[in-house]
Amino acid sequence: MSAGNTQNTENTERTENPLPPPDVIRGRVAWIFGDDFDVDLVIGVENIKYYDPDVLRSVCMRRYDPEFADTVRLGDVIVGGRNFGYGHPHYPPLVALRNLGITAVLAESFSPGFWRGETYNGMPLLAVPGISTAVRRWDRVEVDWRRSRVRLVDTGARLAGDPLSDRVVKVIEAGGSLNLLLAEHRAARAAD
Amino acid sequence: MPSTITEKILARAAGVDRVAPRENRAFRPDHMIAYDFPGYTDVMFRQMHDDFGITELAEPERYLVFIDHMLTRGGPREEEVHRVTREWCDHYGITLHEAEGIGHQVAAELGYALPGRFLIHFDGHISGLGAFGALGWGVRRDLLEAWVTGRIFLDVPASVRFELTGEFRPGVDNRDLIHSIIARLGADGCAHQVMEFTGPGARSMSIDRRQGLCGMAMFTGAVSAVFNPDDLSLEHARRVAATPFEPLYSDPGAAYTGVHEIDLSQLEPQVVLPGSAKGANTRNVDQVAGTPVTKAFIGSCASGRLEDIRTAAEVLRGRRVADTVQLNVVPTSVEIHRRAEAEGLLDVLRAAGAAVAESSCDFCFGYQRPLAPDENCISTGVLNISGRMGSTEANIFMGSAATVAASALTGRITDPRAEVPR
Repeated sequence: MSAGNTQNTENTERTENPLPPPDVIRGRVAWIFGDDFDVDLVIGVENIKYYDPDVLRSVCMRRYDPEFADTVRLGDVIVGGRNFGYGHPHYPPLVALRNLGITAVLAESFSPGFWRGETYNGMPLLAVPGISTAVRRWDRVEVDWRRSRVRLVDTGARLAGDPLSDRVVKVIEAGGSLNLLLAEHRAARAAD
Repeated sequence: MPSTITEKILARAAGVDRVAPRENRAFRPDHMIAYDFPGYTDVMFRQMHDDFGITELAEPERYLVFIDHMLTRGGPREEEVHRVTREWCDHYGITLHEAEGIGHQVAAELGYALPGRFLIHFDGHISGLGAFGALGWGVRRDLLEAWVTGRIFLDVPASVRFELTGEFRPGVDNRDLIHSIIARLGADGCAHQVMEFTGPGARSMSIDRRQGLCGMAMFTGAVSAVFNPDDLSLEHARRVAATPFEPLYSDPGAAYTGVHEIDLSQLEPQVVLPGSAKGANTRNVDQVAGTPVTKAFIGSCASGRLEDIRTAAEVLRGRRVADTVQLNVVPTSVEIHRRAEAEGLLDVLRAAGAAVAESSCDFCFGYQRPLAPDENCISTGVLNISGRMGSTEANIFMGSAATVAASALTGRITDPRAEVPR
């Protein structure tokens, strides 16, 4: 846990609930990261306390591609290697990516803490063995996220990952755990 | 079908006879734990009350809150965070432990972490409770799910077994073991699994060492770590238990994804280079010996227990910390502080020039006496990412309490085996 989290308690849960993804995500590979990638580097360790969208946009991916914010669009995905999200992940880096339109992360595997935290926030995180070497930047992909299937549009190649559990599918469909829990809670109260 | 201790604890928490890895189902934790921190507890309490309309709890005894962060500055903002936490706990009838030490340790001292129990927290270092044959699992924001529904959906993890032989040699401890495992298997070597420590080496290990070892499980990618109960942990459990408990044990023939054999007597002191605790950053101490340090820290939920303080006192007894180094020692809990004082260990450390601080999490996350740019710190904290203990321009090396004490003595990273009395 970072000392930096002390300033943004008011809007954290509101800025991070995304719209649920479409049944099939259609977009491009916006970036490919290597193994053990620490997501804090997406915005820089010095910025992990910020949730302000303008600040996040101004720092997101600057060290990798200064044009990133202007070139990605809704439906694009991030690709990672093994153990994506390793380290002591904070939430703003994925908020920053989501704000720019990033709709899913496909990686060889995920660090468990990162996977749990961002699944809660409603981001589809799909472990797809082989993905990091099968794609190049800006390749077009179609992602059937419920079944963890990826089709590379330009070559027709298909990759299959570990399917999400039924519970996680519900979390993503609801736009995050908080939305799902609230819906379940209201339904249970109405039934009483 | 034989089961692991993890599967048995989870089966009991699910109210079924048996669970198998990869099953996703709802589990009922015995305790649902948090420490107060902005963005976590304040948000969760408000969500529970305002969004879910929960105005009273059916089982407040299953909730547990600690105030162990942000204790040392006493500013108005910190006090406001703590005040809000006190009010919510009072409103809901939740037991609150304030300034008694780091919650992951205090939970053990107060008898929450009993054999067979299942405990969750938003913070992954709760895995340290595996030392007692309990299962502690860090679930991040999903703690809210448990707080509002009383149960939590999880994937049953597979287990990986570490068959330990031998005993730690002087100057080598659980920190060297966990960093050796990370160096050997990688930072995802145990991903999504539970590390289970077995064998004569596991049984030879003190409770302090077991807690420190299990508490660092996340840096192998593991979701938790556990020891099977034995005479030592059962004796502790009987002493602190306020309620009956049922120890659970792995069956012979239970399934593991792998078995790793490690001879504790062959381990070398390990130092983790600044960055993070991954294999590529892990070195035998002799490879980095001589690196100058200006700050040294012994404490945290992974180190800072009585045995760590004893080790540091052995190294520093009758000697002085180097003029160029500030050594900060923070016992992990108030109880440990009291016992270390009673044994005279803290006097030894003070006489050597160390500053002994009240127990809290504050040094480890850069809240108390943060590092200045370009400082080199050698630390027993749990994390050495950039900015963790202060400036993003400071360097944090990690090692055992013995390595930190020996390095504080010389002002340079030092092999503790040269300094620990045999």
